[in-house]
Amino acid sequence: MLRLSPVLDLGAAAPLWRGLCEARGAAIEIDASQVERIGGLCLQVLLAARTQWRADGRSFAIVQPSAAFADGVRLMAAADLAPQQEDVQ
Amino acid sequence: MDPMDAIKATYFQECDELLASLEEGLLALEAGEGDSDTINAVFRAVHSVKGGAGAFGFDRMVEFAHVFETALDAMRAGKLDPEPEVVKLMLRATDVLVDHVQAAKGEGAVDEGRAAAMADDLAALTSSEAPKPAASEAAAATTDEWGFAPLKFDFGDEASAASEAKWRLVMRPAPQMYAKGHDAALFLRELARLGDAQVSLDASALPDLESLQPETPYLAWTVELPASVEEAAIRDVFDFVGEDCPIELTLEGGEAPAAPSAEAPAADMQALLQAVQDESSPETSATVPPAAAEKGSADKGAPKGAQGATIRVDLERVDRLIDLVGELVINQAMLAQRVAESELACSSSVAIGLDELEQLTREIQDSVMAIRAQPVKSVFQRMPRLVREIAGATGKQVRLVMEGEGTEVDKTVIERLSDPITHMLRNAIDHGLETPEERAAAGKPEEGAVRLAALHRSGRIVIEVSDDGKGINRPRVRDIAVEKGLIAADANLTDDEIDNLIFLPGFSTASSVSNISGRGVGMDVVKRSIQALGGRISIASQPGKGSVFTLSLPLTLAVLDGMVISASGQTLVAPLTAIVETLRPKPEDVRALGPAGAVLAVRGAHVPLIDVGVALGLRHAPIDPDHGVVLLVESEGGGRSALVADEIQGQRQVVIKSLEANYQRVDGIAAATILGDGRVALILDVEAVVEKRLNERHAPLAKAS
Amino acid sequence: MSKTILTVDDSRMIREMLLIVLQEAGFNVVQAEDGQDGLEALRRSSPDVIITDINMPRLDGYGFIEGVRQDQRHRATPILVLSTESSPEKKQRAREAGATGWIVKPFKADTLLDVVRRVSA
Repeated sequence: MLRLSPVLDLGAAAPLWRGLCEARGAAIEIDASQVERIGGLCLQVLLAARTQWRADGRSFAIVQPSAAFADGVRLMAAADLAPQQEDVQ
Repeated sequence: MDPMDAIKATYFQECDELLASLEEGLLALEAGEGDSDTINAVFRAVHSVKGGAGAFGFDRMVEFAHVFETALDAMRAGKLDPEPEVVKLMLRATDVLVDHVQAAKGEGAVDEGRAAAMADDLAALTSSEAPKPAASEAAAATTDEWGFAPLKFDFGDEASAASEAKWRLVMRPAPQMYAKGHDAALFLRELARLGDAQVSLDASALPDLESLQPETPYLAWTVELPASVEEAAIRDVFDFVGEDCPIELTLEGGEAPAAPSAEAPAADMQALLQAVQDESSPETSATVPPAAAEKGSADKGAPKGAQGATIRVDLERVDRLIDLVGELVINQAMLAQRVAESELACSSSVAIGLDELEQLTREIQDSVMAIRAQPVKSVFQRMPRLVREIAGATGKQVRLVMEGEGTEVDKTVIERLSDPITHMLRNAIDHGLETPEERAAAGKPEEGAVRLAALHRSGRIVIEVSDDGKGINRPRVRDIAVEKGLIAADANLTDDEIDNLIFLPGFSTASSVSNISGRGVGMDVVKRSIQALGGRISIASQPGKGSVFTLSLPLTLAVLDGMVISASGQTLVAPLTAIVETLRPKPEDVRALGPAGAVLAVRGAHVPLIDVGVALGLRHAPIDPDHGVVLLVESEGGGRSALVADEIQGQRQVVIKSLEANYQRVDGIAAATILGDGRVALILDVEAVVEKRLNERHAPLAKAS
Repeated sequence: MSKTILTVDDSRMIREMLLIVLQEAGFNVVQAEDGQDGLEALRRSSPDVIITDINMPRLDGYGFIEGVRQDQRHRATPILVLSTESSPEKKQRAREAGATGWIVKPFKADTLLDVVRRVSA
C-alpha cells in the first residue's frame, strides 16, 4: 500500500517516482484519498508506473480517490486512472 | 462573444435608440408639436426596427411592425390624421413593439392577445387601403421605396456551424515550466473555463518507469474548444508562461457554412453588420451608432458636424482610466504629505509645483468623471410607459410632464435612479392623484398632472416628482404612526414631520398597499437604498393641492469630500454632506439622559450624543465628550445628532475604493479609502450610525411600555 | 486549511491593500518589505503563493525570485509579480528568474483573487 501525499506538484514527483521504483515486482494499491492537488509531473509518474505494472503482469490499482484527485486526472484527460467510487471496495 | 450574438447585441442597442425616438416623436405629436419631419422620423424608426427583425428572422415582430408601419405610412401620406386618439393608440402600439424586442432579447414575453388586438386596431385605422398581410408575406416583402429588401443573412445553420468549427490547441510543457510554479493542470483548468473543452492526452513520449526523469515533462495535450471562444482569450491563458509552454493554435473549419465567414468570422460579420446598418437606415445617419467611427472605417467619414463628433468606448476602458486617476490622486496626496514632512516644504518652488500638480490632478479627475456622465434621459424615457400602465390599472387620467432630461450625472448614479423614480411615480399616481370623478367634484381638471424633473443643485443631482393630487392625509398618517407605535400619541409634530413619517420602517400598512404601490417595496426601503448611496429623500405636501417628492444624490459615487476623524485609533472619513458643523463641547452642555445616554445642548436644542467608537464596536464605553470633538450631523428627516470622535485630522477629497465584493457589509461603514499617507480609512455611513444608535436606545423603552 | 500568501512590497499602502483583500478572502498573509526581508520571511513560514513587487530597495524582485527558486522547498511555489510596469522586457526578465505570473498595478481585488486562486488551485 502506497499513500499519495496531499500536494502532488513538482516537489512530490521525484519522491513518488522513487517510491514506485522500489515497489516494483509486486501488486500495488495506491491510496489517493488524501490528494488535494495533482499536477502534470506526478500524473506522468503514475501513468508510467501503471504501464510498467501491466507489463510486469502485476495488479496496479488506485483506490479511494479524493474528489480533487478524480477532478485533476479528468481535467488532464487521464480519467481512467481514478476508478469510479463503486469499483472501490 | 459569438459573432452572431455580437451583431444581435448591436441590433438590440440600436432598437433601444429607435424605440426611444419613436416614443419621443409620438409624444411630440400628442402634444401637438409634431410636423411632417416628426412623422417621417417616427415612420423610419418602426421601419428600421422591422428591417433588423426581418434579418434575424423574428417573424412575429416583423408582422406586428409591418402593420404599425402601414398605419404610419398612411399618416405620412396624409391619409391618416395624427388625432390624439390615433396617437394614443400608436403609443400603446409602441409598448407592444417594445415587448416584442424584449421577447426577442429573451427578456420577457409578448402578450399575444394584446398584440393581436393591437394589430387589429392598427389595421382598422387604414382598413380601407391596406389589408393585414400574413407573416410570411411581411417578412418576404420585396424592395420597398427605401431600397431596403429585408435582408436575411445566411449564416448557414448557426448551431451546426458553431459545433463544427473549433479551435484546436496543442500544448507541450517545456522542461523549465514546472520549475516556475506553472502546471499543465492549471492551464487545462483555465481553458475549461472558456468553454466546452475536449481534452486528449498524448503520452507517446512517456518512457518506461525506470528511465523516466521525474522532473522532465513528457506529456502533451490537445484541447478542442468551440470556435465561439475568442482567440485572444485562449492566448491570454499562455500569455505569461510564453515559451516555457509552447502552443500551437489552429481553427479547424469543419464543414464551412454557406457564408464565407468561417476563416475570419469576426471581420466578416462586422462587414455584414455594417451593410445591414447602412441598408436599414439610409436617411438616418445621425441614429447610426457611432460604432463605425470606433472601428475606424475610413469611408464613413466624420459624423455630422452639428451632432458633435462622438465615439463609443468600451466602458471597461473608461473605468480603468478612472481607477488610474484614482491612483494618481492618492499618489499625489502621498507625495504632498512626504514633502510636507521633509525639509523640502520650505522650498517655495517645490510647494508651488505641488500646488500646480494638485490643481492639474483635480482637473484630470473632473474631466475623466465627465466622460462617464450621462443625461438622465435614458432613465426618464422609460417612464411614460410606466405612467400609462399605472394610469390604466388605476382608472386615473394622467399627464406626465418631464423636465431636465438633459441633466448629466455619473453612470454609477444613473443606474441607481430607475428604481426610486419608478416607486415615486407609482406612489404619486396611486396615492397622490384622485379618480377623475373625485377631481371633478373638487373642481380640478379630470386629468391629473405628474411632473418628473431633474436638476443640478449645489453639486448634487435633484430629482423631483410632484403631483397635483390630494396631498398627504395628515390625520390619517398620524393615526397610523401612533397605531404602529412609531410615535407617541401625544407627540407634537410639525406638518413636515408628519409627512415624512411615511419613510419610517414599518409604516407601510395593509390599507395603503394596493397592487400598484405594493408591487415592490415600502417607502422605507426606498429611503434606505437612497441613503446607502449618500442620497436624501423627503416629501412636502399641501392638502388638496398635491405633494412633491425630492430626491438628491451625489453626482458621482467614485469620489467623496470627507472629514478625516479618528476614534479608538481607527481612522474614519465622514462625508462632508452630512456634517452641519463641528464643535468642542463644554462640560456644562452635556447632560446625562438615562443610564447610558447623553444629550448635548446646542443653541437651545438638545441633540442625542453618539460615540462613534462605541457605535462601530471599537470600544465599549464612550469617551468623555468634552475630551473629544463633536460632529453635528443632520439626518434625512432633518433631525440632528452629535457624533463624538477622538479628534479631527482634516478635510480632504477621497477616492472611494470599491471593495464591496470583499467586505462583508458592516453596519455603519459605507466603503473604504486610502489616505495620502497610505493608511486605509473606513468611510462612515452616518445615517446608519445614527439610526442604529437611536434604535438601540429606543428598543428597550418600547418593550417596557 | 487556509492557504498562506507572502506579500513582498516596499509600499505600505500596497501591503495594506493586499492584506485587506487577501484576509477578507480567507488567506493567511505574511508580509515583507523588500526582497531581502522576503527571503528571511521564507525561513519562518512556508507560503503557498508569493506576491512580489519588482522595484524594491536592498534586493529587487528579480533577485528575490531567483533566491526563492534556489530554495528546494519553493522550487515550484507560484510567484506572482505585482508591478506598475508591463513592458515585455521586464516580464521576460521576471519569467527567466522564475516568476509564474504578472499582475499590473493598480490591481482590482477581484482580478488579484482570481489569479491567486487559480495558481493555488
